[in-house]
Amino acid sequence: MSLNNLKEKMNMRTLGISVGLAMLLAVGCSGEKAKSTGGSSSSAASGPAPKFTLAWSEYPSWSVFGVADELGLLDKDAGKQGELEKKWNVDVVLKGVDYDTCIQLYGSGEADAVCITNMDILGSAPSRNSVAIFPTSTSVGGDACVTAGIDSLEALKGKKTYGLARSVSQYAFERILTARKLNPQDYPFESMDPQAAATAVQSGSDTVKSIMVWNPFVMDTLKKVAGSKRLFDSAEIPEEIIDMVVMSKDSLSKDGSQRFARCLMEAFYSINQRMADPKTGDETLVAIGAKFSNLQLADMKEVVTQTKFYKTPAEGLALYRDGKFQKTTMPAVVEFCVSNKIVEGNATVGFDKGDSQLNFNTALLQGLVDGVDPK
Amino acid sequence: MIRRPIPHWLAITLGVCGVVVMLLAYSFLSARQTGKNENQKVIPGWQTFKQGASRLVRPQGRTDSPKPSMLVTDIKATYWRLFLGVSVGVGLSITMGVAMGAYRFIESLLAPVMSFLAKIPPTAMLPIYFVLVGTDQKMFTAMVALGVFFTMSQSIYQAIAGEVKTVAIDKAYTLGASDAEIIYEVIWKQILPSVLDNIRLQIGPAMIFLLAAEMLVGGEGMGFRIRMESRVLDMSVVYIYLAILGFTGLMADYFLLWLRRKLCPWCIR
Repeated sequence: MSLNNLKEKMNMRTLGISVGLAMLLAVGCSGEKAKSTGGSSSSAASGPAPKFTLAWSEYPSWSVFGVADELGLLDKDAGKQGELEKKWNVDVVLKGVDYDTCIQLYGSGEADAVCITNMDILGSAPSRNSVAIFPTSTSVGGDACVTAGIDSLEALKGKKTYGLARSVSQYAFERILTARKLNPQDYPFESMDPQAAATAVQSGSDTVKSIMVWNPFVMDTLKKVAGSKRLFDSAEIPEEIIDMVVMSKDSLSKDGSQRFARCLMEAFYSINQRMADPKTGDETLVAIGAKFSNLQLADMKEVVTQTKFYKTPAEGLALYRDGKFQKTTMPAVVEFCVSNKIVEGNATVGFDKGDSQLNFNTALLQGLVDGVDPK
Repeated sequence: MIRRPIPHWLAITLGVCGVVVMLLAYSFLSARQTGKNENQKVIPGWQTFKQGASRLVRPQGRTDSPKPSMLVTDIKATYWRLFLGVSVGVGLSITMGVAMGAYRFIESLLAPVMSFLAKIPPTAMLPIYFVLVGTDQKMFTAMVALGVFFTMSQSIYQAIAGEVKTVAIDKAYTLGASDAEIIYEVIWKQILPSVLDNIRLQIGPAMIFLLAAEMLVGGEGMGFRIRMESRVLDMSVVYIYLAILGFTGLMADYFLLWLRRKLCPWCIR
């Protein structure tokens, strides 16, 4: 326990000095911790390992789970266990599929947990009550309005912007315009699949001159279309679009579910440590890039500045406990979903409130910070 | 015994039984899923369909200036696109298929290219469509039309090669027919049943191409709605659309079979 308190303090103190140094310390400390909990892993229930499934799609902070499988921390197959699965005596099944398919796997009960944004989960939560167990990243530039031949918001007025309707793209588009005291009504938004929209701009379409898309399409379009411009992006609304891991309430009531959650967290944070470590940083980024649109190192270095990872459990906790996130951001996201008919106006969001349809749970993260073994 | 006829009343009863079994199987699946999670909308129960249906027919927009409901907007968009695409595609296929079937020169020039292009799903060539025809109505029409065109013109020209005997053409020439007369009186009339069959077979693929395109591009249409509603897991709307699609497909089938009986009463297959 004292070791972990010490780790907290050390992290806090070093934050101001140098990020690199802080990362090194975090790596060192949690290495210690892994050893200490390793000894107590016998407390993890013995007997057959209960099976839990996570559906993930290619996105910087979610492709991490694919990398965890490659590194042997987790084993994606049913009936096979990676390092962490053995430690906690669970069988983690990883299903790497398309984002929309992830949502459907989760909604149909085929997956116990899913990698999803804080907005899209509101569509699923009323029919499958959900618990956000930890955030993985937030978009600070990863969602952007990219234009070709339109150089200002004034010039964009009345012209169509293409992006996926009722997704984070439309949310960010309207939200940023509103934040800039502009009327979203003056900026028509037309639905198009992000990949198709990027393709249209890149093929020199006459109609598609402005798109609101996410990465890798933002970076890709900017690179390939001469004279294209990043008109505005999600850096203006940091910590509003959150990528997270969500588990269903019924799965979380099953035996071994907390060990499954811990397993995912430890996998996620240990890859974050590898990214921070100068020795393994680049190769880890390359490995993630291989599972994110085949991006190379230079591109990946840019991606992680636009998709900011929540590198430690403490950072994740800070978000879930943040007053602005609780009282301003999430209500605004819910309102957007209601006005766009994504939910029927009955999605309840709570923070450590078990009866809400979407509950942001801090106990699981706190347990990891405190070094308390999950049940 | 194989192919022994059965009474008409029995045939109809069996058809009805098939539908009932399908509905029962659905109810069972739905009940099983609801047993696991009572709020689920993935395989919604019949009650949930009512909610979905009422959402579908509710006028959109503000109450003081209502816009047509989702159902009306989507059906109009999709079926108009389908109609345009299939019409253009069928028109082109008939012209091209007959030309290839009639003249060796055209056949040799185009048959390999057509055969090659027929194997490529048009939705995989989205960028080419964007460049050639943009992203609007023209794109949907072109995608459906070309999707139909490459396969169907091949079928038509093969039908001509297989069904129209050279001896019939020679006889017509002997009787003093012109090329145009042979094409219309001998070739076209003989392959008409095949053409109608082919249209029937192409409606399925055309629908698939159109829905796939709508899922990617555009803010209305049945494909668009299916994707949007699937993302929020409200399958009640999705399944209603699928049922509509299935039903109209069935109707189109019956219509074309009826048309074939009317237009080509001599052809019994």
